[in-house]
Amino acid sequence: MVTMTTAYSVFFSITLNSAKDVPNPVSTGFSLNEQGNIEDHTNTAAVMENTYQLGPSKQFPVSAVSDILKEETHNNLQEVKYEAQRCRELTLTLCEGIRNRVKELLIPRYKTVVLVHIGQLNGQGMQISSRCLWDPSSDTFTSYSFKNSSLFCSATVYGVYFE
Amino acid sequence: MDDYQMEEKTAFIVEEVSKIIKDSVETAIGENSYKHSRVNQWTTSVVEQCLIQLSKLAKPFKYIVNCIIMQKNGAGLQTASTCFWDNNTDGSCTVRWENESMYVIVSVFGLAI
Repeated sequence: MVTMTTAYSVFFSITLNSAKDVPNPVSTGFSLNEQGNIEDHTNTAAVMENTYQLGPSKQFPVSAVSDILKEETHNNLQEVKYEAQRCRELTLTLCEGIRNRVKELLIPRYKTVVLVHIGQLNGQGMQISSRCLWDPSSDTFTSYSFKNSSLFCSATVYGVYFE
Repeated sequence: MDDYQMEEKTAFIVEEVSKIIKDSVETAIGENSYKHSRVNQWTTSVVEQCLIQLSKLAKPFKYIVNCIIMQKNGAGLQTASTCFWDNNTDGSCTVRWENESMYVIVSVFGLAI
């Protein structure tokens, strides 16, 4: 029993020392090997340690994202009249604006998809529906619809956990 | 060679997905003309058919399927999407389909697990 504990303590001290000697091999691009020679890691893929993490450390912040959707649509579309060319550009600016603001929330391990539709109000019938194959415990979406006198806009953000 | 096959098996192949979308739209809607009471049923069945066929591909993906059906009466519609993901593994496919009385736009996003 005693020998086993010493064996463990030796093992731990070794790992601690090696961690101190090579503080950050991935970001520097090279490190020292046992002989003290510089090894070049720039051409080899960085080998990450297993995280053993099974679920998201932080859930997708649905309410923060829906606030972003609301703000962006209101800021961009409040006084806009429907024009095909103008709205084509608007869908893109909205999409990019929303994606960049969601990225700034720095949600670890989540991929996001932003989908924006802008349509003219002309008395037509229309239905948008969507369905996903994913893990409902970690993946989620949020959607916001906006309408003024001449156009409607529906913006949806999907947050998909990347394992 | 092995590597190549592995990639084939796990990649998002746009042609494959767009065929699935077209088939499911054709079978669900076909030559029907726009009827308000049936649109709900159509969108549901298009989306569901797509998902069933996509899951049969047995690839390590999570899928998002979005379907719009809009009546044709001269009204315009613009859609756009942006994604924050891994370009090497993930992909999207959008199909626009129409008959005399309606437009159907189906977008599929595949996100690798």
